[in-house]
Amino acid sequence: MRQSPWLAAARGPMLIAMLPAAVCILATVALSAWAIFYSFTNVELTGARSINWSFIGFDNYVRLFTREGFLNSLWVTFVFTFFSAIVGQSVVGFTLAVTLRGTRSLLRNIVEVAVMLGWLLPDIVAAFMWNATTSKTGLINSFILNPLGVGPVDLISNYALTVVVVANIWKGTAWSYLLFSAALDSISREILEAARVDGATPFQRIRLVILPMLRSHIATNLLLITIWTFGYFALIFALTGGGPGRQTEVLSILMFHTSFNVGKLGFGSAIAIAMMLLVGVLAVFYLRQLKEPK
Amino acid sequence: MESTFARSPAVTVLLLAVALVWISPFAWLVITAFDPQANGQLGGAHGVGLDNFLAAVSGSSGQQFINSMIISIGTATLTVLIATAAAYPLSRIDIPGKNVLLWSLVLLRMMPEVGVIVPVFFAAKTVQGLNAQGMIVSMTVLNIPFALLLLKNFFDSVPIELEESAYIEGASLWQIVWYVVVPLSRSGLAVVWFFTFTGAWNAFLLPLIFARTDTAFPMSVGLYAAFGQYGSIQYGFLAAYSIVYAFPAVVVYFLLRRNLNTGFAGVGVKG
Repeated sequence: MRQSPWLAAARGPMLIAMLPAAVCILATVALSAWAIFYSFTNVELTGARSINWSFIGFDNYVRLFTREGFLNSLWVTFVFTFFSAIVGQSVVGFTLAVTLRGTRSLLRNIVEVAVMLGWLLPDIVAAFMWNATTSKTGLINSFILNPLGVGPVDLISNYALTVVVVANIWKGTAWSYLLFSAALDSISREILEAARVDGATPFQRIRLVILPMLRSHIATNLLLITIWTFGYFALIFALTGGGPGRQTEVLSILMFHTSFNVGKLGFGSAIAIAMMLLVGVLAVFYLRQLKEPK
Repeated sequence: MESTFARSPAVTVLLLAVALVWISPFAWLVITAFDPQANGQLGGAHGVGLDNFLAAVSGSSGQQFINSMIISIGTATLTVLIATAAAYPLSRIDIPGKNVLLWSLVLLRMMPEVGVIVPVFFAAKTVQGLNAQGMIVSMTVLNIPFALLLLKNFFDSVPIELEESAYIEGASLWQIVWYVVVPLSRSGLAVVWFFTFTGAWNAFLLPLIFARTDTAFPMSVGLYAAFGQYGSIQYGFLAAYSIVYAFPAVVVYFLLRRNLNTGFAGVGVKG
């Protein structure tokens, strides 16, 4: 970067101005270190072990694999992330973006506003809405199941994971839609026109022209929504609380329950660190994707 | 204009169906909110009235709206101040290890909040900060990487030449920042402010462990507690409360719609 004379003069004050932010970033790093530290102890929220805790080495990490909770939650998180983010949000978002491409019509506005509503409504509002929508007297039962002759079904009790996945597709598709929309706008019209003139069908144009050109956008989007969905807490927690049983207990909910309801902060921290490591691996892939020349 | 798919009636109908599916739960919410006797049963409203909305803005619900406002405005303002003070130098001067710093910010931004929630809780508890101020400080700390990246990228797009000529004219650093940089960056600062505001407005996990009494709850926890407590009995109230709660975030989006794009995810580093 070019160094202007005035910047050289302003260097001192500028460095000082950065201090508060530096403190915040160091605090975040320190908090993470603190979580790592706790994960090697048996500290608890209340009771004797909240004061007289001790180091127990890797016991908490061994417990991750010897007790049922963690592996179950890992699986639930995987299913939730795969179906709601990767299959649901990105495929629906991509399809909408391709279909609406190039239209500046009323139709496009209607669909955009509808999809954005999911994105804009706060998590807990979405949770309440989906709770009501899937209840025995809710929209799905009244408008779809009952007319088909199926009696009222308590969807949350019987198909909790499906409900949570659908709710998250509803909530998050807007992001993928916006990203793909912007990416599609960057493909020049001439290329698609040329493909059309050469006789490519719409599906061939998608498969042979659009998909290859958007490869890096798609990879970026998939990694980002995977990372976000992986740590998602509020919607699922408010909708099902992780239940019934442990059917929707994703890792973030397991971590919260273990730490603040059961009170085993040490074990909870080990779950948190395991999550951070998994996200870290995904994030490294993401960073490499970003650095690659497009 | 040639679209990828030919405009056919079938596609139009399909798209309208998608929009309908997306909107219908929300439509139910709105109808229920205006129905004073709503009980979760469909089949026509029992009446139209604002009783639910009155309940949703009075008493402890009203207090929760104020709490959310205080927490969100506080967090957004503090975040933008701290992040701007660092983002501008970061954009303008050479600092050893700058790229490493920027990439680690991207990494930090992607870490799930759950990861640090236990230490945050303890840190706040130790300094007696399990209250609104504590929430503001904690959320600010956690928001800094994101805001810093956004603002740094934004300042990179503000031409440095204007600042140079102001310097030659004899302006001090403070004058340059205040009279040249800030006016040019107003839209970027506003976007980051509103982004942080909506983030704090929607925040749930942190307030859940920070707020203990229903007069201290922000609206997210207030709504969660209310629907755990009343369940299907008070659908009307819950729906109205939801709309009051969702309103600011939705309005802010439509006000800023033109300024927003996915670049604002704050997940990239330029140059």
